[in-house]
Amino acid sequence: MSVLRLDNLCRSFGSLVVTHNVNLTIAAGERHVVIGPNGAGKTSLINQMGGQLQPSAGRVLLDEVDITGWAPERILHAGIARTFQKNNLFFNLSVLENLRLAVQARRASGFSVLRPAAARVDILARAREVLVQVRMDADADRLVRNLSYGEQRQLEVGMALAGDPTVLLLDEPTSGMSPAETVGMIDLVRSLPSSLSIVMIEHDMNVVFSLADRITVLYYGEVLATGVPAQIQANARVREIYLGASH
Amino acid sequence: MEIYLAQLLNGLVYGMLLFLTAAGLSLIFGLMNVVSLAHGSFFMLGAYIALSVTRQTQNFWLALVLAPVVTVGIGLLMERLFMRPLYRRGHLDQVLLTFGFTFVFFDAVRSFWGSDIRKLAAPDALQGSIEIAGGMFSTYRLFLLALGAGLALILWLVMERSRLGAMVRAGVDDSAMAAGLGANIPALFSGVFGAGVALAALGGVAAGPVLGLYPGMDGDILIPSFIVIVIGGMGSLRGAFVGSLLVGVADAFGKAYVPALSMFLIYLLMAFFLLVRPQGLFGIKGGVAPAGMVVAVGAPFNRPQLARRLAWLALVVLAVFPLFVPDYHRTLVSEIFVFAIFAMSLDLILGYTGLPSFGHAAFFGLGAYVVIVLGSLFGLNGWLGLAVAIPVTAMAAAIIGFFCVRTSGITFLMLTLAFSQLLYSIAFKWRDVTGGSDGIGIASRPSFLGWSLDDPLALYYMTFFFFILSYLGLRRLIASPLGHSLVGIRENESRMRAIGYATGEYKLLAFTIGGTLAGFSGGLYALFNGFVSPEALHWSASGDVLIMAMLGGAGTLVGPVIGAAVFLLMKNLVSSWNDHWMMIIGAVFIACVMFFPGGIWGMLRDRVARVRS
Repeated sequence: MSVLRLDNLCRSFGSLVVTHNVNLTIAAGERHVVIGPNGAGKTSLINQMGGQLQPSAGRVLLDEVDITGWAPERILHAGIARTFQKNNLFFNLSVLENLRLAVQARRASGFSVLRPAAARVDILARAREVLVQVRMDADADRLVRNLSYGEQRQLEVGMALAGDPTVLLLDEPTSGMSPAETVGMIDLVRSLPSSLSIVMIEHDMNVVFSLADRITVLYYGEVLATGVPAQIQANARVREIYLGASH
Repeated sequence: MEIYLAQLLNGLVYGMLLFLTAAGLSLIFGLMNVVSLAHGSFFMLGAYIALSVTRQTQNFWLALVLAPVVTVGIGLLMERLFMRPLYRRGHLDQVLLTFGFTFVFFDAVRSFWGSDIRKLAAPDALQGSIEIAGGMFSTYRLFLLALGAGLALILWLVMERSRLGAMVRAGVDDSAMAAGLGANIPALFSGVFGAGVALAALGGVAAGPVLGLYPGMDGDILIPSFIVIVIGGMGSLRGAFVGSLLVGVADAFGKAYVPALSMFLIYLLMAFFLLVRPQGLFGIKGGVAPAGMVVAVGAPFNRPQLARRLAWLALVVLAVFPLFVPDYHRTLVSEIFVFAIFAMSLDLILGYTGLPSFGHAAFFGLGAYVVIVLGSLFGLNGWLGLAVAIPVTAMAAAIIGFFCVRTSGITFLMLTLAFSQLLYSIAFKWRDVTGGSDGIGIASRPSFLGWSLDDPLALYYMTFFFFILSYLGLRRLIASPLGHSLVGIRENESRMRAIGYATGEYKLLAFTIGGTLAGFSGGLYALFNGFVSPEALHWSASGDVLIMAMLGGAGTLVGPVIGAAVFLLMKNLVSSWNDHWMMIIGAVFIACVMFFPGGIWGMLRDRVARVRS
């Protein structure tokens, strides 16, 4: 049973085609990694699933409901949460407040003025849960701008998790991380509930092969191959174009 | 036929003068992303310096050359010493900086040359008139047409044909890329800024014999120039030219044939362009990049106990203070309470939600007019008037906000300005109801808890009561989930949407609440003052309240209160022993923008936080 399905998705900027007839099916609980050389259209693909970018043609289906062209906030409430390739956080607010805002959005109280935000203990409790989940419980009161880059990457994942998604989109979660931090991130992703479907863009082949159930290779906006890791490793064209180029 | 031709000629002449200001404004914006609000001041400075030169030498031509040279010197000093250090910050900080300078220049002109209307004499050779097609036309006006057209041609040649022009055009497109190709960007910035100032000053001299000289002529050329670059397209020389002539001619014909609607139509045109075609007719820069700005972010006041004690102390002092002072001081502090509410209401939009409104006086003035007009035309009790003013301003804020919150940064700033000037032009022209420029008053004030508001003590406690009420209400709002959501939007709107907030609705809500509270403060002002004139709606009133909020510390609640107090104390107390309150407030504001981006309160808070740690 597929949770997320891309149906002939296309997107171009003028004459530049960044997504070309992409078909992709993500099963419930699947860890699906998208790889491809720079400029293959990976982030554009995530942006179309998250609502940041409108497809030119084709459909995005969540549980077979057509969510193509929905606004990002509506897509979040439908069950898809994302992280960003470049840290996109509330840098002047504390770690806990970042997560609290993300939880608050899902508890449908963003317009409320009757009680102080600090009095909503249910929201705070959930924010602290996520804090523990992303292993940042010691950093609750630090300002995000004072975190290391790697810590900010961790919080990116927490921000998405706080949205209680059924599908999690991770855009290069380990980019800019030290080897030790990368191991931590692999652990973190592994620890996520198996019911959660994950679509992840990744460059680091260790990460790719230690997490992926299936892999899709994008090349100039098109799907070059999709399959289990062994199939991808064996694929001659992938070796030639992608793996060959970077190794 | 001659009538039409005369109107057309007048329109074209005004258009040429607009072009001289708008061309510089547009190029500066295109290259540096800064809307220089001081650009009108350079127009004014040019004219006044020419006045002194012609008085000394009786030579208009010398003045036409010398005045721009001196003005460019002043402009370059401002650019090098004040604007350049801020290049790395948000563009809005530079806009605010130039706004501070409008105060300084205004005050300087007023004290050097006085407030009377002056006129620059046209040179002898251009006195008299020429007959064309059966009509008589002033020689000087024909000269202005030729001058404008000639300068436009030269500018066009420089921009299109020279290497320098190519570098400027490249810088407008993408200054980082232009720097990479070897253009010396800081020098280019200074050069274009200086050229823009020269054009504005030249325009000021040229306009002297036609439009006259008076402090305030800066705003009267600046605002139409905004309209020109919005219509023509920011950063485009051709746009500035076509836009100027369009606005000039529309203005001339409008004034001649539909005087009641002439200003209104032009502001409406501006709002229309901003919404439908924000890049203007020939604009290169489509959606203007959102301008970041600095507010008092950072650690909140980290000594809750001290804060609570200070708050109680302030409350007690303010409660007993009026018992021991004369009426003058009671009235002054009452006024501060009213404007503190106004400034806090702006801060909800500006400091908390991050939307730089330059038209907040629209709601203040509307609230005041509702109370006064209902009181004077229908004899409605002031409190009932206030009760009507609240829903009326709420509705106006919701409607204006609906259009404005779809934009951000400089576009938002210009659009709020256009809407407020729209209301200003209605108040100005709709004499039967608003009394036009004379303003309108009510015969008597209502009472407060059975205590006549004609007693300054009653007025004091009334405004104090509503100030406390507004402060507590806003504090509650800011501590609520809604308040936190607004701060989230200010900090990072795209992340807010990604975590599930329909930010457009939140921004509209904040704009509406802020507008309504401003309307309420305007209504209070009506009760306080018993009189209102279009000045309450004017863009400079929006600028004043912006200064109050930023000076005290945007993004905090105490800040705008302090800002309102400092501003009004300066205006009323400094002006009693020294004429230069505007220059002082301008300088303080400039210092704040440059060195204390968190305003007075932000600075104090940081000091306390540092002492603590």
